[in-house]
Amino acid sequence: MRKFLSLLLGAALLLGAFSGCGSPRGEASSVESESSLQDVDQSASVVIAMGPTSEPEAGFDPAYGWGAGEHVHEPLIQSTLTVTNTDLTIGYDLATGISSSEDGLTWTVTIREDVRFTDGEPLTAEDVAFTYNTVKATSSVNDFTMLDHAEAADSATVVFHMTRPFSIWPYTMAIVGIVPEHAYDSATYGGEPIGSGRYMLKQWDRGQQVILEANPDYYGEAPAMDRVTILFMEEDAAFLAAQAGQVDVAYTSATYSGQLLPGYTLEAYDSVDNRGINLPTAAAGGTNENGVAVGNDFTSDVLVRRAINLGVDRQEMIDNVLNGYGSPAYSVCDQMPWYNLASQVEYDPEGAAALLEEAGWRLGEDGVREKDGVKAELTLLYSNGDSVRQALAAELVNQLGELGISCTMEGVGWDTAYDRALSTPLMWGWGAHTPMELYNIYHTQEDTGTALYSPYANSTVDQLMEEALACSDLEESYALWQQAQWNGSTGVTQEGDIPWVWLVNIDHLYWVREGLQVARQKIHPHGHGWSLVNNVDQWSWS
Amino acid sequence: MKRVNRRFSTLLFLGIAAALLGAVTLAGICLKDAALVTDFSRKDLPPCQGFLFGTDWMGRDMFARTLAGLSLSIRVGLLTAGISACVALVLGVLSAAFGGWVDALISWWIDLVMGTPHILLVILLSIACGKGFTGVVVGVALSHWTSLARVIRGEVLQLKTAPYLLAAEKLGVSRWNRVKLHLLPHLLPQFLTGLILLFPHAILHEASVTFLGFGLSSEQPAVGVILSESMRYLTTGKWWLALFPGAALVLVVVLFALLGERVRLLLDPGSVHE
Repeated sequence: MRKFLSLLLGAALLLGAFSGCGSPRGEASSVESESSLQDVDQSASVVIAMGPTSEPEAGFDPAYGWGAGEHVHEPLIQSTLTVTNTDLTIGYDLATGISSSEDGLTWTVTIREDVRFTDGEPLTAEDVAFTYNTVKATSSVNDFTMLDHAEAADSATVVFHMTRPFSIWPYTMAIVGIVPEHAYDSATYGGEPIGSGRYMLKQWDRGQQVILEANPDYYGEAPAMDRVTILFMEEDAAFLAAQAGQVDVAYTSATYSGQLLPGYTLEAYDSVDNRGINLPTAAAGGTNENGVAVGNDFTSDVLVRRAINLGVDRQEMIDNVLNGYGSPAYSVCDQMPWYNLASQVEYDPEGAAALLEEAGWRLGEDGVREKDGVKAELTLLYSNGDSVRQALAAELVNQLGELGISCTMEGVGWDTAYDRALSTPLMWGWGAHTPMELYNIYHTQEDTGTALYSPYANSTVDQLMEEALACSDLEESYALWQQAQWNGSTGVTQEGDIPWVWLVNIDHLYWVREGLQVARQKIHPHGHGWSLVNNVDQWSWS
Repeated sequence: MKRVNRRFSTLLFLGIAAALLGAVTLAGICLKDAALVTDFSRKDLPPCQGFLFGTDWMGRDMFARTLAGLSLSIRVGLLTAGISACVALVLGVLSAAFGGWVDALISWWIDLVMGTPHILLVILLSIACGKGFTGVVVGVALSHWTSLARVIRGEVLQLKTAPYLLAAEKLGVSRWNRVKLHLLPHLLPQFLTGLILLFPHAILHEASVTFLGFGLSSEQPAVGVILSESMRYLTTGKWWLALFPGAALVLVVVLFALLGERVRLLLDPGSVHE
């Protein structure tokens, strides 16, 4: 009997553990932040809850991913040479002038001379050159192979020598925070950053919170928010913290959008945080140099890919999965200056069915299409544990089922997902403030002759993107990027090769305390985190 | 009033419990496909007539998912407990029958496995075998045999000095025949009870390892997966997602534990006539 009792208790305990480990960390940290906030003027401070993955693991060092990498945002603590404007064109931060040579191999940037680091030392072109040479040597998250080296021509002019023309270099300059040469030690800088940006790092409790304080010597407009506290907590903890009134802004998702939080409003910010699937354009049978299977017979037919793009009801997907908080996605770069409007398609199930008929896939008795005795079957992969991608995949399975394509879905871990995606459609998430993403997704690699993430190759698309990179004028390059998507005869859109089908852009949702004026956001990139506070210096309480 | 025979009531309980568990297993297999169906027109429904356990955020029928998950757990439990018990029997008998360095080696091995935190061992084995279904089965099967092996070893050691075995040895019965004719039948009650009592452990560990995300992929109906998904929705008031599957899991585990106890009562010579 004792054994049985202990088992019963054990089971109960297990169940208790299942239901009870929601939020201890979040609660603890918000309590602490409250106590540490007592001595500050509440009217100029704000407490923001972000997800645990937003915490920069390697600290606030641009060389190790702060502001750069997969989730791009303004580094706040450091200044950058350029910034992206709200319409994603390029503006100046430290820079006062940018010019590139005719061959695109040299960029000359003049910088302001009135800028000081928070330790009192002036910021010079030496520091800029040092920063770029450092990130080139050490950055683990960004590609700096286009940069040969940077040098300071004089104290206010820095010259970048490139290995190849790279017209969108200003977008790279927008994410590299400038570090001081005299006070940079790669081992400690991440935890004790010195910059010249709008904020200084006051306190960082790993796993809990980051406290930023306004830089009193900032060269630009003085920040309206004196203190910004960022708490890192899980989504449910963030919701509870907002419910308890402990935070001013809390990130949330469509799951919680149906809830009512007195004293808070639900704000949805547009994003280019898209979700889409890759459709391998190569036939099955091949393998890459690691022996991984490449290609998919069903999706290698361009008519099938067009049918899928046409037969997806994106609005229904948004209503069902995102509770309406999203916008249809037609490319990896919707609304960006380099976005080609020709990517847009209207939902047309009849047209999709006609395309499948044309491709030879006839409707069988069981509602599944067949061709030469082969069933129209497709597996959709999604990353395990991501409920939004899982639900999008489930919705897509249902929608493609209506077209007569029998789909199954399978959750995979990121350890195997990249390899599997070479032969099987995977639910991806992209969206960045640089056209380089088009290049990364659609351009072929030199050694394999096919694109990196999903088998695809189109020499015209390749050439147009190379021209765009080689272009000496940024404005002109936008047009070339657009042509790479669709130039009137070929491209990656519906009438072109359509190697990826884009589904939705996910709105980034936040609970915002009433009275807090969040400044106008630029379209958020992939990553539901620091982008929100890009302009926290302009927020205010009313 | 006629007093119901204890033996009869125990048998009756055994029959009902076994039938119930069998029914859950079968129903789960039949509902496997229904458990995967998503229908966004019926998402987030609280328990009602059409959906006894409600539906989740993708409109999946939680009743079907729970049954399919329990069924999977029971089948994994059967398989892993079977493997574990066989491993335990072989090692336990070997250890005791041969003694010497064999005993030392096996005892050391038992101590080593027992000394490793259980859930850690399951996770490590599961990852080493590529996660997924195989990972879970191997992980649970190869980590649960130790205590039963120790019990069997002790039992055999005790039996070895029993007069009837010593007599058989003096009479020249071969070692293999002694094990087959005199040892194994005596071990059967211990073995069966141990086997059944392994089920609850195996099931709970299967649930834990899938809960922690080291097992099956998340569209699969496994109790652990269901419970870990439900966590995200508890704060929004969707209590039914965790309550029913959790309670059902506890119920199945309790049933197995009771079953083991009763089987022991029936088989153990010390209590069979009570």
